[in-house]
Amino acid sequence: MPLLRMRNASFEGGGASAGPVTLDVYPGERTALALGSAREASIVALMASGIVKPSHGSVLIDDFDPRIQSINCKRVAALVPHEPCGLSESEFVRYVVYRAALWKIEPRRALAHAQLLRKRLDEMHEAFAFPLIGALVGMPKLVVLDRPAAAYAAQILTVLEGRAVFSAHASASEARAFLTSPFTASGRGGAPA
Amino acid sequence: MTLRALGGVVIARLYVQRRVLLYACAAAFVVGILQPNGAVGPVVFCSLLGIAMALSQSPGRHPHLDRCEQGAPLFGRELARAMGLVPYLGASLAALCYASAQMIRGSHDAPFDLIIVLAAVAASTSTALCASIRRGWPRVLYILLAFSAGTMTYALAVTARALLAGFAFAALASFLALRQYGEALARYDPVEDL
Repeated sequence: MPLLRMRNASFEGGGASAGPVTLDVYPGERTALALGSAREASIVALMASGIVKPSHGSVLIDDFDPRIQSINCKRVAALVPHEPCGLSESEFVRYVVYRAALWKIEPRRALAHAQLLRKRLDEMHEAFAFPLIGALVGMPKLVVLDRPAAAYAAQILTVLEGRAVFSAHASASEARAFLTSPFTASGRGGAPA
Repeated sequence: MTLRALGGVVIARLYVQRRVLLYACAAAFVVGILQPNGAVGPVVFCSLLGIAMALSQSPGRHPHLDRCEQGAPLFGRELARAMGLVPYLGASLAALCYASAQMIRGSHDAPFDLIIVLAAVAASTSTALCASIRRGWPRVLYILLAFSAGTMTYALAVTARALLAGFAFAALASFLALRQYGEALARYDPVEDL
Protein backbone atom coordinates (compact mmCIF):
# COMPACT_ATOMS: atom_id res chain seq x y z
CA MET A 1 0.00 0.00 0.00
CA PRO A 2 1.47 3.40 -0.92
CA LEU A 3 2.01 5.92 1.88
CA LEU A 4 1.09 8.74 -0.47
CA ARG A 5 -1.38 8.27 -3.31
CA MET A 6 -2.31 11.28 -5.46
CA ARG A 7 -4.80 10.81 -8.29
CA ASN A 8 -5.34 13.82 -10.57
CA ALA A 9 -4.95 15.93 -7.44
CA SER A 10 -5.23 19.59 -8.26
CA PHE A 11 -5.84 22.79 -6.34
CA GLU A 12 -7.59 25.96 -7.40
CA GLY A 13 -8.33 28.92 -5.19
CA GLY A 14 -6.94 32.11 -3.71
CA GLY A 15 -5.65 33.10 -7.16
CA ALA A 16 -3.44 30.00 -7.30
CA SER A 17 -3.62 26.67 -9.05
CA ALA A 18 -1.53 23.50 -9.00
CA GLY A 19 -1.62 20.07 -10.57
CA PRO A 20 -3.12 17.75 -11.60
CA VAL A 21 -0.63 15.37 -10.01
CA THR A 22 -0.80 11.57 -10.09
CA LEU A 23 1.79 9.57 -8.19
CA ASP A 24 2.39 6.89 -5.55
CA VAL A 25 5.08 6.93 -2.87
CA TYR A 26 5.69 3.60 -1.14
CA PRO A 27 7.35 3.10 2.27
CA GLY A 28 11.09 3.75 2.06
CA GLU A 29 10.79 5.12 -1.46
CA ARG A 30 11.92 8.54 -2.64
CA THR A 31 10.10 10.62 -5.25
CA ALA A 32 11.09 14.04 -6.57
CA LEU A 33 8.64 16.02 -8.67
CA ALA A 34 9.47 19.09 -10.73
CA LEU A 35 6.62 21.55 -11.15
CA GLY A 36 6.07 24.66 -13.24
CA SER A 37 6.69 27.29 -10.55
CA ALA A 38 7.76 27.74 -6.95
CA ARG A 39 4.16 28.46 -5.90
CA GLU A 40 2.85 25.33 -7.60
CA ALA A 41 5.58 23.22 -5.98
CA SER A 42 4.67 24.66 -2.60
CA ILE A 43 0.94 23.92 -3.04
CA VAL A 44 1.66 20.33 -4.15
CA ALA A 45 3.89 19.85 -1.07
CA LEU A 46 1.11 21.22 1.16
CA MET A 47 -1.39 18.83 -0.49
CA ALA A 48 0.97 15.87 -0.07
CA SER A 49 1.31 16.60 3.65
CA GLY A 50 -2.45 16.94 4.23
CA ILE A 51 -2.34 20.65 5.08
CA VAL A 52 -4.16 21.77 1.92
CA LYS A 53 -7.11 19.77 0.62
CA PRO A 54 -7.28 19.16 -3.13
CA SER A 55 -10.05 20.93 -5.07
CA HIS A 56 -10.29 18.06 -7.57
CA GLY A 57 -9.00 14.50 -7.61
CA SER A 58 -7.88 12.66 -4.51
CA VAL A 59 -4.98 12.49 -2.07
CA LEU A 60 -4.63 9.59 0.34
CA ILE A 61 -1.95 9.54 3.02
CA ASP A 62 -1.52 6.04 4.43
CA ASP A 63 -5.11 5.49 3.17
CA PHE A 64 -6.42 8.46 5.19
CA ASP A 65 -8.27 11.20 3.35
CA PRO A 66 -7.10 14.71 4.38
CA ARG A 67 -10.59 16.08 3.74
CA ILE A 68 -12.09 14.06 6.59
CA GLN A 69 -9.14 12.52 8.50
CA SER A 70 -6.75 15.44 8.55
CA ILE A 71 -5.36 14.61 12.01
CA ASN A 72 -4.46 11.02 11.00
CA CYS A 73 -2.73 12.32 7.85
CA LYS A 74 -0.65 14.76 9.90
CA ARG A 75 0.52 11.94 12.19
CA VAL A 76 1.86 10.09 9.13
CA ALA A 77 3.26 12.92 7.00
CA ALA A 78 5.48 15.83 8.04
CA LEU A 79 6.21 18.89 5.96
CA VAL A 80 9.61 20.54 5.80
CA PRO A 81 8.87 24.08 4.56
CA HIS A 82 11.06 25.82 2.03
CA GLU A 83 11.44 29.03 4.03
CA PRO A 84 14.40 29.02 6.44
CA CYS A 85 13.37 29.55 10.05
CA GLY A 86 14.73 32.56 11.90
CA LEU A 87 15.86 30.71 15.01
CA SER A 88 19.34 30.78 16.48
CA GLU A 89 21.34 27.85 17.86
CA SER A 90 20.49 28.96 21.42
CA GLU A 91 16.77 28.44 20.69
CA PHE A 92 17.20 24.82 19.57
CA VAL A 93 16.01 23.20 22.82
CA ARG A 94 12.99 25.54 23.04
CA TYR A 95 12.10 24.71 19.42
CA VAL A 96 12.36 20.94 19.90
CA VAL A 97 10.28 21.05 23.09
CA TYR A 98 7.64 23.10 21.21
CA ARG A 99 7.50 20.57 18.35
CA ALA A 100 7.39 17.68 20.84
CA ALA A 101 4.43 19.33 22.61
CA LEU A 102 2.52 19.73 19.33
CA TRP A 103 3.10 16.08 18.38
CA LYS A 104 2.56 14.86 21.96
CA ILE A 105 6.02 13.31 22.16
CA GLU A 106 7.87 12.96 25.43
CA PRO A 107 10.25 16.00 25.50
CA ARG A 108 13.34 14.13 26.74
CA ARG A 109 13.00 11.52 24.01
CA ALA A 110 12.45 14.23 21.39
CA LEU A 111 15.49 16.17 22.61
CA ALA A 112 17.76 13.11 22.54
CA HIS A 113 16.59 12.32 19.00
CA ALA A 114 16.96 15.94 17.90
CA GLN A 115 20.48 16.27 19.29
CA LEU A 116 21.52 13.13 17.44
CA LEU A 117 20.10 14.58 14.22
CA ARG A 118 21.79 17.95 14.85
CA LYS A 119 25.14 16.16 15.06
CA ARG A 120 24.47 14.46 11.73
CA LEU A 121 23.49 17.80 10.20
CA ASP A 122 26.29 19.81 11.80
CA GLU A 123 27.44 21.24 8.46
CA MET A 124 23.97 22.48 7.57
CA HIS A 125 22.94 26.02 8.54
CA GLU A 126 20.53 26.01 11.49
CA ALA A 127 17.90 27.91 9.46
CA PHE A 128 17.57 24.85 7.21
CA ALA A 129 18.50 22.13 9.71
CA PHE A 130 15.97 23.07 12.43
CA PRO A 131 12.81 22.65 10.30
CA LEU A 132 14.08 19.27 9.10
CA ILE A 133 14.89 18.14 12.65
CA GLY A 134 11.55 19.52 13.85
CA ALA A 135 9.70 17.51 11.21
CA LEU A 136 11.48 14.31 12.30
CA VAL A 137 10.64 14.85 15.99
CA GLY A 138 7.11 13.54 15.30
CA MET A 139 8.53 10.27 13.83
CA PRO A 140 6.67 10.59 10.50
CA LYS A 141 6.53 7.70 8.03
CA LEU A 142 6.46 10.14 5.13
CA VAL A 143 8.53 13.33 4.87
CA VAL A 144 7.40 15.96 2.38
CA LEU A 145 10.06 18.47 1.34
CA ASP A 146 8.93 21.77 -0.13
CA ARG A 147 11.65 22.91 -2.58
CA PRO A 148 14.61 21.68 -0.51
CA ALA A 149 18.01 23.28 -1.20
CA ALA A 150 19.86 21.17 -3.76
CA ALA A 151 23.16 22.09 -2.08
CA TYR A 152 22.11 20.14 1.01
CA ALA A 153 20.64 17.14 -0.87
CA ALA A 154 23.17 14.58 0.38
CA GLN A 155 22.88 15.66 4.04
CA ILE A 156 19.08 15.83 3.94
CA LEU A 157 18.77 12.40 2.37
CA THR A 158 21.22 10.87 4.86
CA VAL A 159 18.99 11.70 7.83
CA LEU A 160 15.87 10.62 5.93
CA GLU A 161 17.24 7.19 5.06
CA GLY A 162 14.61 4.48 5.47
CA ARG A 163 11.64 6.88 5.34
CA ALA A 164 9.37 7.61 2.39
CA VAL A 165 10.35 10.99 0.95
CA PHE A 166 8.43 13.18 -1.46
CA SER A 167 10.02 16.41 -2.63
CA ALA A 168 8.40 19.08 -4.79
CA HIS A 169 10.72 21.33 -6.79
CA ALA A 170 10.41 24.38 -9.00
CA SER A 171 12.91 23.09 -11.58
CA ALA A 172 13.91 19.74 -13.07
CA SER A 173 17.60 20.29 -12.22
CA GLU A 174 16.81 20.66 -8.50
CA ALA A 175 14.60 17.57 -8.60
CA ARG A 176 17.45 15.68 -10.27
CA ALA A 177 19.79 16.64 -7.40
CA PHE A 178 17.52 14.68 -5.09
CA LEU A 179 17.61 11.67 -7.39
CA THR A 180 21.28 11.59 -8.38
CA SER A 181 22.58 11.93 -4.84
CA PRO A 182 24.65 8.89 -3.70
CA PHE A 183 21.80 7.95 -1.32
CA THR A 184 19.07 7.79 -3.96
CA ALA A 185 19.41 4.30 -5.33
CA SER A 186 15.65 3.69 -5.32
CA GLY A 187 14.55 7.21 -6.24
CA ARG A 188 11.98 8.09 -8.88
CA GLY A 189 11.48 11.44 -10.54
CA GLY A 190 8.60 13.21 -12.17
CA ALA A 191 8.43 15.47 -15.18
CA PRO A 192 7.11 19.01 -14.89
CA ALA A 193 3.31 18.86 -14.58
CA MET B 1 -5.77 18.74 23.03
CA THR B 2 -3.39 18.01 25.85
CA LEU B 3 -2.42 20.78 28.23
CA ARG B 4 1.15 20.38 27.00
CA ALA B 5 0.17 21.12 23.39
CA LEU B 6 -1.92 24.09 24.53
CA GLY B 7 0.99 25.34 26.64
CA GLY B 8 3.41 24.74 23.76
CA VAL B 9 1.44 26.96 21.37
CA VAL B 10 0.82 29.67 23.99
CA ILE B 11 4.44 29.81 25.20
CA ALA B 12 5.87 29.80 21.66
CA ARG B 13 3.54 32.61 20.53
CA LEU B 14 4.11 34.70 23.66
CA TYR B 15 7.87 34.17 23.29
CA VAL B 16 7.98 35.55 19.73
CA GLN B 17 5.91 38.54 20.86
CA ARG B 18 7.82 39.13 24.09
CA ARG B 19 9.01 42.60 23.09
CA VAL B 20 5.52 43.73 22.08
CA LEU B 21 4.22 42.34 25.37
CA LEU B 22 6.85 44.24 27.35
CA TYR B 23 6.03 47.53 25.55
CA ALA B 24 2.30 46.92 26.05
CA CYS B 25 2.77 46.39 29.81
CA ALA B 26 5.00 49.47 30.09
CA ALA B 27 2.50 51.57 28.13
CA ALA B 28 -0.38 50.29 30.31
CA PHE B 29 1.55 51.26 33.43
CA VAL B 30 2.23 54.78 32.11
CA VAL B 31 -1.40 55.30 31.04
CA GLY B 32 -2.52 53.94 34.44
CA ILE B 33 -0.37 56.55 36.18
CA LEU B 34 -1.81 59.32 33.96
CA GLN B 35 -5.46 58.17 34.12
CA PRO B 36 -5.90 56.36 37.45
CA ASN B 37 -9.64 56.89 38.02
CA GLY B 38 -12.53 54.92 36.57
CA ALA B 39 -12.80 51.78 34.47
CA VAL B 40 -13.25 53.44 31.08
CA GLY B 41 -9.50 54.12 30.63
CA PRO B 42 -8.31 50.54 31.25
CA VAL B 43 -11.26 49.03 29.34
CA VAL B 44 -10.56 51.09 26.21
CA PHE B 45 -6.76 50.84 26.43
CA CYS B 46 -6.55 47.12 27.23
CA SER B 47 -9.28 46.21 24.70
CA LEU B 48 -7.31 48.01 21.99
CA LEU B 49 -4.14 46.19 23.10
CA GLY B 50 -6.00 42.87 23.02
CA ILE B 51 -7.32 43.61 19.52
CA ALA B 52 -3.81 44.51 18.32
CA MET B 53 -2.37 41.33 19.85
CA ALA B 54 -5.17 39.24 18.32
CA LEU B 55 -4.45 40.75 14.89
CA SER B 56 -0.78 39.90 15.32
CA GLN B 57 -1.84 36.22 15.27
CA SER B 58 -2.80 36.71 11.60
CA PRO B 59 -1.32 34.06 9.29
CA GLY B 60 1.98 35.18 7.81
CA ARG B 61 3.12 37.27 10.81
CA HIS B 62 5.06 34.32 12.26
CA PRO B 63 5.26 31.97 9.24
CA HIS B 64 7.37 29.32 10.91
CA LEU B 65 4.96 28.90 13.84
CA ASP B 66 2.03 28.93 11.39
CA ARG B 67 3.49 26.05 9.38
CA CYS B 68 4.32 24.02 12.51
CA GLU B 69 0.80 24.43 13.85
CA GLN B 70 -0.92 23.80 10.50
CA GLY B 71 1.10 20.60 10.10
CA ALA B 72 0.53 19.40 13.69
CA PRO B 73 -2.13 16.77 14.45
CA LEU B 74 -4.49 19.28 16.11
CA PHE B 75 -8.12 20.11 15.40
CA GLY B 76 -9.09 23.65 14.36
CA ARG B 77 -11.00 24.20 17.60
CA GLU B 78 -8.00 23.09 19.68
CA LEU B 79 -5.74 25.51 17.86
CA ALA B 80 -8.38 28.24 18.21
CA ARG B 81 -8.41 27.83 22.01
CA ALA B 82 -4.62 28.05 22.19
CA MET B 83 -4.42 31.01 19.80
CA GLY B 84 -7.25 32.75 21.67
CA LEU B 85 -5.41 32.44 24.95
CA VAL B 86 -2.31 34.27 23.61
CA PRO B 87 -3.79 37.78 23.08
CA TYR B 88 -6.02 37.35 26.14
CA LEU B 89 -3.03 36.60 28.39
CA GLY B 90 -1.08 39.49 26.83
CA ALA B 91 -3.90 42.00 27.32
CA SER B 92 -4.60 40.67 30.84
CA LEU B 93 -0.97 41.21 31.80
CA ALA B 94 -1.26 44.79 30.53
CA ALA B 95 -4.49 45.17 32.54
CA LEU B 96 -2.63 44.01 35.66
CA CYS B 97 0.06 46.62 35.02
CA TYR B 98 -2.65 49.25 34.58
CA ALA B 99 -4.30 48.21 37.86
CA SER B 100 -0.92 48.31 39.65
CA ALA B 101 -0.40 51.88 38.43
CA GLN B 102 -3.93 52.82 39.57
CA MET B 103 -3.23 51.42 43.03
CA ILE B 104 0.06 53.31 43.24
CA ARG B 105 -1.90 56.49 42.48
CA GLY B 106 -4.28 55.59 45.33
CA SER B 107 -7.35 54.43 43.40
CA HIS B 108 -9.43 52.20 45.69
CA ASP B 109 -11.61 50.88 42.85
CA ALA B 110 -8.68 49.36 40.95
CA PRO B 111 -9.36 45.68 41.88
CA PHE B 112 -13.05 46.07 40.99
CA ASP B 113 -12.14 47.82 37.71
CA LEU B 114 -9.66 45.04 36.93
CA ILE B 115 -12.43 42.41 36.97
CA ILE B 116 -14.51 44.45 34.52
CA VAL B 117 -11.45 45.04 32.32
CA LEU B 118 -10.64 41.30 32.21
CA ALA B 119 -14.21 40.54 31.09
CA ALA B 120 -14.17 43.29 28.44
CA VAL B 121 -10.76 42.15 27.18
CA ALA B 122 -12.02 38.55 26.83
CA ALA B 123 -14.95 39.71 24.67
CA SER B 124 -12.89 42.03 22.46
CA THR B 125 -9.85 39.78 21.91
CA SER B 126 -11.97 36.70 21.09
CA THR B 127 -13.97 38.68 18.53
CA ALA B 128 -10.82 40.28 17.09
CA LEU B 129 -9.35 36.81 16.44
CA CYS B 130 -12.04 36.33 13.77
CA ALA B 131 -10.65 39.41 12.01
CA SER B 132 -7.14 37.94 12.02
CA ILE B 133 -7.99 35.38 9.29
CA ARG B 134 -10.05 37.73 7.13
CA ARG B 135 -9.19 40.49 4.71
CA GLY B 136 -10.82 43.68 3.46
CA TRP B 137 -14.21 44.80 4.78
CA PRO B 138 -14.94 41.64 6.84
CA ARG B 139 -11.72 42.31 8.74
CA VAL B 140 -12.66 45.94 9.43
CA LEU B 141 -16.16 44.94 10.53
CA TYR B 142 -14.84 42.28 12.92
CA ILE B 143 -12.43 44.83 14.44
CA LEU B 144 -15.34 47.26 15.00
CA LEU B 145 -17.39 44.40 16.44
CA ALA B 146 -14.51 43.50 18.77
CA PHE B 147 -14.28 47.04 20.09
CA SER B 148 -18.07 47.17 20.48
CA ALA B 149 -18.02 43.91 22.45
CA GLY B 150 -15.56 45.41 24.96
CA THR B 151 -17.54 48.66 25.16
CA MET B 152 -20.83 46.79 25.62
CA THR B 153 -19.36 44.84 28.55
CA TYR B 154 -18.34 48.15 30.15
CA ALA B 155 -21.73 49.71 29.42
CA LEU B 156 -23.60 46.84 31.05
CA ALA B 157 -21.27 46.44 34.04
CA VAL B 158 -20.63 50.12 34.85
CA THR B 159 -23.12 52.43 33.12
CA ALA B 160 -26.18 50.16 33.56
CA ARG B 161 -24.83 48.88 36.93
CA ALA B 162 -25.68 45.30 35.88
CA LEU B 163 -22.39 43.60 36.69
CA LEU B 164 -23.63 40.05 36.15
CA ALA B 165 -25.24 40.99 32.83
CA GLY B 166 -21.88 42.46 31.75
CA PHE B 167 -20.05 39.26 32.67
CA ALA B 168 -22.72 37.11 31.01
CA PHE B 169 -22.46 39.18 27.83
CA ALA B 170 -18.65 38.92 27.82
CA ALA B 171 -18.80 35.13 28.38
CA LEU B 172 -21.37 34.63 25.62
CA ALA B 173 -19.54 36.89 23.16
CA SER B 174 -16.21 35.13 23.86
CA PHE B 175 -17.76 31.67 23.51
CA LEU B 176 -19.47 32.45 20.20
CA ALA B 177 -16.42 34.24 18.81
CA LEU B 178 -14.05 31.38 19.73
CA ARG B 179 -16.39 28.82 18.13
CA GLN B 180 -16.59 30.90 14.99
CA TYR B 181 -12.80 31.32 14.96
CA GLY B 182 -12.26 27.56 15.41
CA GLU B 183 -14.54 26.76 12.49
CA ALA B 184 -12.92 29.41 10.29
CA LEU B 185 -9.47 28.11 11.25
CA ALA B 186 -10.44 24.53 10.33
CA ARG B 187 -11.57 25.74 6.89
CA TYR B 188 -8.67 28.16 6.46
CA ASP B 189 -6.55 27.61 3.36
CA PRO B 190 -2.86 28.36 3.95
CA VAL B 191 -2.38 28.81 0.18
CA GLU B 192 -3.41 32.46 0.65
CA ASP B 193 -0.15 33.07 2.54
CA LEU B 194 2.08 31.77 -0.25
